[in-house]
Amino acid sequence: MNAVVLIDTLLLLLVTATAVAIIEVRSLYASSILTGIYSLLMALVWVNMHSMDVSFTEAAVGGGISTILLIGTLVHVGREEKPIKKRLHVPALIFTALTGAALIYGTLDMPRFGDPAAPIHHYRVPEMMAQTVGFVNGTPGKQKPPEGFDVERYRRFDGRVTGPIPDDPKDTAWRERSILQTEGLIVPQVRAAHEPHAEPGHHLHPPDDFNGHVPNSVTSLLAAYRGYDTMFETTVIFTAGVSLILLLRRPRREGYLQPGAVMSDQVILRVVAKLSIPFILLFGFYVITHGELGPGGGFQGGVVLATAFILYALIFGRAALYRVVPPPVSDMLTGVGVLIYSGTGAVCMLLGGKFLDYSMLNPALPGDGESLGMTLVEYGVGITVSMVMLTIFNQLAEERST
Amino acid sequence: MHWNEVVCTVLLALGCVINFSGSYGVLKFPDFYARLHAAGKTDSLAQVLILLGLVFVTPDLLTQVKLMLVAFILLIVAPTATFAITKAAHLDGLAPWTRGGRQ
Repeated sequence: MNAVVLIDTLLLLLVTATAVAIIEVRSLYASSILTGIYSLLMALVWVNMHSMDVSFTEAAVGGGISTILLIGTLVHVGREEKPIKKRLHVPALIFTALTGAALIYGTLDMPRFGDPAAPIHHYRVPEMMAQTVGFVNGTPGKQKPPEGFDVERYRRFDGRVTGPIPDDPKDTAWRERSILQTEGLIVPQVRAAHEPHAEPGHHLHPPDDFNGHVPNSVTSLLAAYRGYDTMFETTVIFTAGVSLILLLRRPRREGYLQPGAVMSDQVILRVVAKLSIPFILLFGFYVITHGELGPGGGFQGGVVLATAFILYALIFGRAALYRVVPPPVSDMLTGVGVLIYSGTGAVCMLLGGKFLDYSMLNPALPGDGESLGMTLVEYGVGITVSMVMLTIFNQLAEERST
Repeated sequence: MHWNEVVCTVLLALGCVINFSGSYGVLKFPDFYARLHAAGKTDSLAQVLILLGLVFVTPDLLTQVKLMLVAFILLIVAPTATFAITKAAHLDGLAPWTRGGRQ
């Protein structure tokens, strides 16, 4: 049994145990903490599968901010679950069993764990990975492939890529040429690799711009390939924030704030908070900006930013937070984030491309344009996410006026 | 084995032993404060040892600096979290365990 599967099995058993504990525990406080543990365990599972972006999101959103918000909810609902009579609900049991069986039946169609022939290894993603790896890891042939690894198949990644593999590592367009030839289509005129090309798209890029993709293929997929999807995810978060404001916020004439407990008389907490808040903010911006180079992005970075503000509110009181970020400002910024995202898309259209076609931002170097567009978009996501999280926290911490 | 791998292995093993002792303490100690004492102290030391161990097998200087930064920040933040939890329990009126029984 290989180590990855073994660790995965152990982790998933722990995850299951935690899930059962969440249901069984009577104290809602313990239940919230267990939810955080559940998320951290899932983050470890993702790390084990080498999906760092997902893991980062799970740890930041699931383990971090969700736990804070769940505990914030306990202010309103109390710490203990209402005692209920435990009895077997037969229809619910049958329904759950059927759903579970259907899901398990669904997994039968999925490729085996780690199967090299799985579609994910052949469609679209390897294209991006192959392009990325070649340039990020430096000179070709520096790293030896593992035993039994079919390099040629990996480099071709598509059955339609036939003919000999060119020796020139800078010839990055041979796959496209080969596919077009196999399909009997017109072969585009080949330019020299160093010559920047005039037309947008993912073909024939200069070799130093990561072939028109940012190095982190996950960000490339999320912000470019699935740009609409991510934009509407951001909109969903925005809608959630607005709904919460409408549902929970007291009218302005009563004032936003009710006095709460302040912890700034605790010297240790105050000093450490003052020390760490600048670094948390810096890390948040780093994660957002660095999202196209490594694991990270707007969602994770936004949550990290929100954590800094929440820590500030916890230690120095929400009155101090409202002096830094008044509610009208945070309300406005939730919308500004979505506006930046869709605005970037609109600018691409105005420049003559399609909606969210980032390469239009810098037609001479489409890779740079993509990079710029994705950074803008990530900042949009980050601003919306952080401000919505902050608003949710504020509204939960606020006592209901009724 | 190269010397840096030896150093790494020793540090990782030490970290694991300390972490294990902490978990054992959490299960064995009589009350909340003693358990948190076991968990908090061992966690802080063990994570520094494990991260330092990883520094020795990381070829890349940037990653080494990042690992040491993480260790440093955790060294400040983790004990503070333990302090905050303990203080909250104390303010909440949780009495510590004594040999003669509850106060």
